[in-house]
Amino acid sequence: MTWKRVCKVTDVPENTVKKFTVDKVTLLIANYGGGFRAIPPLCPHMQEPLEESGVIANCALTCTKHLWSWDLSSLDMLGETERPLQSYEVKLENGDILALIDKELVYEFEDEDDIKDDDFFSKA
Amino acid sequence: MKITVETNSGVFDFECEATDKLLYAGLTRGLTLPYECATGTCGTCRGRIMQGSAHIDWDQAPGFAKLKRDKGDVLMCQARPSSDCLVRVPARVVARSGCGTLPQHRTAHIDALRKLTRDVVHFELALSRPMSFEAGQFVVLEAPEVKGGRAYSMVNFGREVDRLVFVIKQKAGGAFSDWVFRNDIAGRTVDVFGPLGRATFHPKEGKNILCIAGGSGIAGMLSIIERAAREDYFRDHTGHVFFGVRTLEDGFYLSELCDFAAQTEGRLKVTLALSHEQSPAAVHPEFPHIRLMDGLVADAAQQTMSGRYDNMVGFVAGPPIMVDGALRVLIREARLPPQFVRYDKFS
Repeated sequence: MTWKRVCKVTDVPENTVKKFTVDKVTLLIANYGGGFRAIPPLCPHMQEPLEESGVIANCALTCTKHLWSWDLSSLDMLGETERPLQSYEVKLENGDILALIDKELVYEFEDEDDIKDDDFFSKA
Repeated sequence: MKITVETNSGVFDFECEATDKLLYAGLTRGLTLPYECATGTCGTCRGRIMQGSAHIDWDQAPGFAKLKRDKGDVLMCQARPSSDCLVRVPARVVARSGCGTLPQHRTAHIDALRKLTRDVVHFELALSRPMSFEAGQFVVLEAPEVKGGRAYSMVNFGREVDRLVFVIKQKAGGAFSDWVFRNDIAGRTVDVFGPLGRATFHPKEGKNILCIAGGSGIAGMLSIIERAAREDYFRDHTGHVFFGVRTLEDGFYLSELCDFAAQTEGRLKVTLALSHEQSPAAVHPEFPHIRLMDGLVADAAQQTMSGRYDNMVGFVAGPPIMVDGALRVLIREARLPPQFVRYDKFS
C-alpha cells in the first residue's frame, strides 16, 4: 500500500470534481470546501460518470442523474441514497494531494467475473 | 403466478398475471419497487430473475443498456411472467397500504381532443373507475394499436376523479404520438396504469415553488400550480414557472398560466423561454403576465432566480437533456437538498 501523488491542491477548485489516472487507476478528486476526497469515478447507483453528473454543494456530492447524494465530510448517505460512497484515504503534502491506493476500488456491478451472483446487492 | 422478490429490506410475495408486468403487479400490491419512467427507458426498475422466466415486451428498451441480461437481469416494467418467479431487486422496498391511491389498471375512452399548437394536442380520458391522484403524478397509457406503454403526466388532479387530462407533443418517430396525430382516435379505448410518480406537490411543506418544464412537461406543472392556486397558496408563498418551447407559437396553456399569474398579484411569475427564436418583446404580446426570455429554459431559470432560492422546492419535467440541465441548476446553483428536487424524465 503506497501513497501516490494525484494532483496539486490548486488543480481542483472548491466545489468541483476532477478525474485523474494514477498508475492505471482512475479516480476523482472532490474538493468540498472543507477538504478533499478521492473516490471511484462512477456513481454506485447506475454507473453514471460522476465527473459529469456529480455536483458539489453544501459539502454534499449529488449525482444529478437520480439525485443520490453523500455528505463528503462524513461520507454519510443523504436522502434516499442506498449505497455508500467508497473512497481512498487522502492527505495533503507540500501543496499536493496524495491518495492511498492499494487496489482500485470498484462497486460490485463492475465485477464481470463473479460467479456467485452476489454482486447484485449493495453491501451497505 | 407467484412472484417472490428478495430486496435489500426483506422478502415479499405477490401474484402477477401472465398479462401483467412484474413492476405493475408489485406496485398494485403496495410494494415500493424502484422505478422512474415505468416505460423501459431509464433502467431504474432492474431486477434479476433467479428462478423462473418472463417474457420481455420491449427487447430493445434503452433501460437494458447497463443490465446483465445473461445473468437474468430484467426491467420489471417490461417483464411479464411465464412461470412463478424469484426476483432479486437491489433496493430498499417496503409494503404500504394505499388508502385508495395504489396504482391500478383501468380502461378509458379517449375524448375531448383539441389541437393546441401545430404539434401539441390536448386530450382527455373518461375512466372506467374513478382515480385519486396528486398534482404532479403520471400514468402509463397503452393503446391496443401501439406496442408498449407511454408515460404522461396529468394536467389535472383530485380525489375520485373520473376524467384525466393530458397534453401530448408530436415526436418524430414516436409511435404513440403518431397514432394520436394521424388517426381519428376519439372514442378509442386505452389501458391506463397509475397513478405513478413522486414528483408531487404538498402544500403542507410550505415551500416556495420553482417549476422548470420543457414542452409537454408543463402538464404536471399546471396541475401543481392549479392545486396551489385553489388553496390560495400564493398568498404566503412565491411561485416561478419557467416553460421552455422552441418558438413563440409553440407555447400552449398560456391563457391558463397567465390567469393564474394575474390572480396572485405578482407572487406567481411565469416565464416562457424560447430556444429557437428571439423573443419579440419582454412580455408575451397576447398574455401580459407572461415574461419572455431567449435560450434554454434551465439557463433562463438560472439567470432569473440567482439569489432567490430561499425555502424552495423545485419541480422539473421534460425531455431528459433538459431535465439533466435543470437538475444541475437546482443542485449546484440553488443548492436545494435532493429531497426538495422532484422530477420526471420521460423519453
